[in-house]
Amino acid sequence: MTVLELRGVSKTYGQEPAAVCALGGVDLSVRAGEMVAVMGPSGSGKSTLLTIAGSLEEPTSGEVLVCGLALAGMPRARKARLRRRAIGFVFQDFNLLPGLTAAENAALPLELDGVAVPKARAAALTALDSLGVADRAARFPDQLSGGERQRVAIARAVVGDRRLLLADEPSGALDSVNADEVMRLLHEACQRGVAAVVVTHDAQLAAWADRVVFLRDGRVSGQTAQPAGPESLLSPEGTR
Amino acid sequence: MSIELREPPDLAKGQGGIVARRAVVRWAVRLFRREWRQQLLVLSLLTVAVAATIWGASVITNAPLANPNWVKYGTAAALVKLPGSDPHLAADIASIEHRWGPADVIENQAIAAGTTQPVYLRAEDPRGHFDGPLVSLVSGSYPVGPGQVALTSQVASLYGTQVGGRWRAAGVTWRVTGIVEDPSQLVDEFALVTPGQVRNPSQVTMLLGRAAARLANAGLTLPGVPAATLAAPNENVGGLSQATLVLVAEVLGLAFIGLVSVASFSVMAQRRLRALGMLSAIGATDRNLRLVMISGGLVVGVAAALAGTAAGLAAWFAYVPTLQQATGHAVDAASLPWWAFGTGIGFAIATSVLASRRPAKTMAAVPVVTALSGRPAPQKAAHRSAVPGVIAFALGLACLAFTGGLAGAPGGEGRPPLFLVGGLVGVIAGIVLLAPLALSVLTAGSGQRMPVAIRIALRDLVRYRARSGAALAAATFAVFLATVTGLVGSERTANPLQPSGPNLSSSQLIVVAGRSPSPGMMIPLTSAEEASLSRRLNRLALSLHARHAVPMEHAAGLFEANVPPNDNFTGSFEVATPQLLATYGIKASQIAPHTDILTSRPGLAGLSHLEIIWQSGGNESDNNSQPASSRPCKLSADCLASPVMQTVNALPTGTSAPNTLITEYAVRKYHPQTHLDGWLIQAPAPLTAAQIRAARRVTLAYQAPLEIAAGGTNVGEITAVGTALGILIALGVLAACIGLIRSEAGRDLRTLTATGASPSTRRTITAATAAGIGLLGAVLGLAFAVVAYMAWAHADLAALFGDVPLTDLLILVAGLPLIAAAGGWLFAGREPPAISRQPIE
Repeated sequence: MTVLELRGVSKTYGQEPAAVCALGGVDLSVRAGEMVAVMGPSGSGKSTLLTIAGSLEEPTSGEVLVCGLALAGMPRARKARLRRRAIGFVFQDFNLLPGLTAAENAALPLELDGVAVPKARAAALTALDSLGVADRAARFPDQLSGGERQRVAIARAVVGDRRLLLADEPSGALDSVNADEVMRLLHEACQRGVAAVVVTHDAQLAAWADRVVFLRDGRVSGQTAQPAGPESLLSPEGTR
Repeated sequence: MSIELREPPDLAKGQGGIVARRAVVRWAVRLFRREWRQQLLVLSLLTVAVAATIWGASVITNAPLANPNWVKYGTAAALVKLPGSDPHLAADIASIEHRWGPADVIENQAIAAGTTQPVYLRAEDPRGHFDGPLVSLVSGSYPVGPGQVALTSQVASLYGTQVGGRWRAAGVTWRVTGIVEDPSQLVDEFALVTPGQVRNPSQVTMLLGRAAARLANAGLTLPGVPAATLAAPNENVGGLSQATLVLVAEVLGLAFIGLVSVASFSVMAQRRLRALGMLSAIGATDRNLRLVMISGGLVVGVAAALAGTAAGLAAWFAYVPTLQQATGHAVDAASLPWWAFGTGIGFAIATSVLASRRPAKTMAAVPVVTALSGRPAPQKAAHRSAVPGVIAFALGLACLAFTGGLAGAPGGEGRPPLFLVGGLVGVIAGIVLLAPLALSVLTAGSGQRMPVAIRIALRDLVRYRARSGAALAAATFAVFLATVTGLVGSERTANPLQPSGPNLSSSQLIVVAGRSPSPGMMIPLTSAEEASLSRRLNRLALSLHARHAVPMEHAAGLFEANVPPNDNFTGSFEVATPQLLATYGIKASQIAPHTDILTSRPGLAGLSHLEIIWQSGGNESDNNSQPASSRPCKLSADCLASPVMQTVNALPTGTSAPNTLITEYAVRKYHPQTHLDGWLIQAPAPLTAAQIRAARRVTLAYQAPLEIAAGGTNVGEITAVGTALGILIALGVLAACIGLIRSEAGRDLRTLTATGASPSTRRTITAATAAGIGLLGAVLGLAFAVVAYMAWAHADLAALFGDVPLTDLLILVAGLPLIAAAGGWLFAGREPPAISRQPIE
């Protein structure tokens, strides 16, 4: 089942003559359980692709479908509902809400969706447990290490019945050990049926993905066909 | 979970309901608890605003007597006075009691006490029918029989006696049973004895009921009692009611709370922009986002309302003694306008919540990606608010014009409350809507010739208009309030012939050069007594840290022609001796040649038809002067018309003496007879009760009356306090908002630092930001206040600035931006964080 589908998506910022084309006719589909890494130089449109896929931005043209639902023309409230129920975000700088404990942060999407507090809390604890930070549930973000914060952020992104996980440089602020661990956790989430799109600069981390998509100047310049090892990404033959 | 085909999520319903709302409210409350230190300034400002409203409402309610007629009449409907010299006094009293009773009989016998305020031995039943507001027991007990007396605390202090002690007066030694007071008139000094104990009353007052009032209102006298003078209180006491003034205070307080709140919540919203973006990214609806901000507003409003109420009540209880002294009547500290408190607190919370709605709405509309990046929200076009602002301000002015100033419009009963409050609301709305437009002026000041730091600061103010506009509106309103306080205070002293205010300042005392064995009687001192008293007063002056007791010489009176005697010049008019001038640091070189009169009263020098009436012996020695026949003053040998006047601000202001002097030049030229009027002691600090007692002991020995400050509010002090408060509040608002405006431009600051900008550049940017808003706020606040005041008081510009203390206005316009700039410079040297984007945790 295709969880995310981008058809000819373009995004232009500003107006002529100062218009900047961030994405130009991108096609991408991600199936349930698949993990896709997006790589490319700075300004290639990686983050824009992610925000459009996550309904945070409107494309200038093209079509975006999440779980089969077209985002075009969807009201803001409906998009918010979609994000609560189907899409999880993981950011480079964690973006946990200060003032809420790890468990409360993880339970927040469910509580925002009206799930009763005990039930939401139980689901959050399960998610935290699966990510190995259940013992940190009562701590506030500023009492956690960087790796722990990112695990809580992933728990928040996968809690409930999420179908699509969008991660923008999830390991950018972490050391190599924690970075690898985060990618492993994302990979495990995909094995449980979640589709994931992970933006990364790091070829070694991208190796966790089932497929790697290369962006350059807002266009897909290439992508791997099969799960690839890190060494394959370093040679031109590894891409097509 | 497993990889399986799943239905698309059902998006048809579900807004999260109460669970979602509870989650975001919980977060808002937690944020407040975590970040209360960052919100301390905002909380303090709101707390001060609520406290000021509570305190102001209490003062306004209690400052005037509940009924001004109580001072003279108590609760009686009519009053009869009989002279002590009435040969049929006892029979007249009995006749009146029989025909018009019930009556309270109050017999007064004047006794000397060494003060300008007479002291009476008073025979009165304290539990009479109508004299409840005229006598009350402070301590001890009322006298119940012959030989017993209860004294006011001033009399007890003056004669050095206390409850249980002995006191000799009117040829009798009395046992002091208690301390009493006249709660309607605390300066009333008397010794209360039981009825019939005053042997030689100088006057008898009888308080009567409604039957006698009908006679008095018809302009009739008491039949069969020719010696009696009948009077009834004026039932129509004019002016603005206390409820109206409380309402005005609340409107002003709440408007300020609202403005500060909007500015502050804009700050908080900007600080939380990324967190709100994150919340939106994980599925929060716009309503959820707004709820976060509005909950924050509610929490801040409740916290400020509670703290402000506590602070306001504490300030009120601490201020009660001062208020009693200033108003001259007893103040019941527990008599508080609870309805006003309830309304004020409720409105404060509601205002805080409403004020958080605008930034909440703005933030909720920010695109999620923009919010996540921490970039400020796009600015709205400013011209939208111009027309409503002009309309609101114009309507406000029209309403104020209808009220007709402090006295109210003629025939305008019922208008003032409605139109005054409506006018204020309109003017404030106009200020809020129009002030931010003035930010565009700063663009003109940010030209290429300006230093780069100032250019950046001014342009940023225009760029981040949402925040700087709110800050400017709040600063403008603070200055508006301070200026209006000064202007209304000046309105009370606008008549230069009879300025209101206390007789003397609390650091002054005057000893009259004469012997007063009984009130109204004055016998000149002998030369030996004068010399002796002068020596003792000089010693007293030294003990009060004054250089000496300054002799005050009298030579003439001052009048304005064609003005009824009751409306003419009041206050002392002494000779400007070198000693008196030196007391106020005035050098002879500061006085223009041929000046006849020196004055500090604003507007006095501009009056035409002023005449100096010589005491006696005045005669021109200058034959070349203007012929007497051309002057309105007809008795040329006895008066001088249109004297040359000079305004000297160094003379005391806000009190009645000594602010108008005749120069030695005029005395030399016209040869009036001069005589010693008394001595002035100008101490460097307010006199203590012990120092006043010491002075009284000196003057009592000579039976020379002593004059000290006797109540009244010094308008100069009011305007000075108003100016200082305005500056402080405006600075608080600026401090709360400048940080945000600069933090929004933090990215630019980092870039500047990276390109080699020194700490002084960063300081200059913040200082220029603060000064820009400070200057604009001061100018706009002043302009709005002047226009609103002119509409309210029906004054023209020339008359207005003739009366207003221009120094205070200059301090506001120049001082506020200077202090703001200095503060900005001092607090802005910190190196910006090296990380371009801090995590929101």
